[in-house]
Amino acid sequence: MTCPYLDYRRSDEDHEFDHDRPYCTVAEEFVSPMKADICNDRHEFDHTSDCETYPDEQASEEKESGSEAIRADASE
Amino acid sequence: MSYEAYLNDRNVILTVAPTGGVHGKDKNQNLPEQPEEIAEQVAACEELGASICHLHARDEHGENDAGRIQEVNDAVRERCDDIVIQNTTGGQSTYDARVQGIRTDPAPDMASLDMGPFNRGQHIITEHTRNNIDQLAAEMRKKGIKPELECFNNGHINEVYRLIERDALEEPYYFNLVFGHGTFTPPTPENVLNLVSNLPESSEFNLLAVGRHQLPLTTLSMILGGHVRVGMEDNLYYRKSEPVQSNAQLVDRTARIADLLEADLATPAETRERLGIE
Repeated sequence: MTCPYLDYRRSDEDHEFDHDRPYCTVAEEFVSPMKADICNDRHEFDHTSDCETYPDEQASEEKESGSEAIRADASE
Repeated sequence: MSYEAYLNDRNVILTVAPTGGVHGKDKNQNLPEQPEEIAEQVAACEELGASICHLHARDEHGENDAGRIQEVNDAVRERCDDIVIQNTTGGQSTYDARVQGIRTDPAPDMASLDMGPFNRGQHIITEHTRNNIDQLAAEMRKKGIKPELECFNNGHINEVYRLIERDALEEPYYFNLVFGHGTFTPPTPENVLNLVSNLPESSEFNLLAVGRHQLPLTTLSMILGGHVRVGMEDNLYYRKSEPVQSNAQLVDRTARIADLLEADLATPAETRERLGIE
């Protein structure tokens, strides 16, 4: 799953590029290639727990809803 | 591999690492990312005396993409005369992605071989297990690819000794000693001396240091009989507050320092001979 705060943009106030690049709408800046792997949940990364800028409250909510879904699956 | 070696009219191997997998053009617009951009800058560096290029591949968004390493190799071969191609097998990706660096056609002359894990940011650990290291070393040996033994801290030197005891490496052992922040070796001259003193016989060593440490510590390496790696993978600034204009700018400075130290830069052919690359 891709981070809902990840966007792909060609420009911001300081930069203009030939291609879309990964942009964090929380930090309001382009992200590094390494960070983009976390944004895209590649290589077993999880943006809710591995990202330093992902909002804590939302991460907690998503994990909680995920746990509830798992519990619901287990009870079926 | 000694001060005496430096005094005795030896050649310095200059590696350029033009791209890496850490930074993007948003940090320095001159960082080459696409195959043609990388090849153009590597060719300029070869003209200035670089004999090895350490290569990474990116996708069209500037993100890491090991699947494009073949395109980068092809572009470099097209643009350059004879430079030694050294592909990465490092980074934070899976083993299946990393191993693509030694599965190009033709195979690279060299490939990096990270000797253990290290931390990046708050959550990233580059996963380099002993099992993966052994597999990569075995495949490199089978294909005649010279491993560049990347030691990010002192303990990684122990891991090279482990490979030597298993007869997994051929002489000369080519170390790349890495100095910088986090789990890299703290970048001080004292630590350079310490690591060099711990290397086995029949070793050649290269030194890379990140950011502002690149200039002084690579210079020290040359004085100690070692080799140097410079480039925008490791350093995005020429001096404080002055972004690098190109990889050639860093290579040119290093070439001038070598000349001032009365050391010659090894040609690609001399580099192959010195490292036992066929």
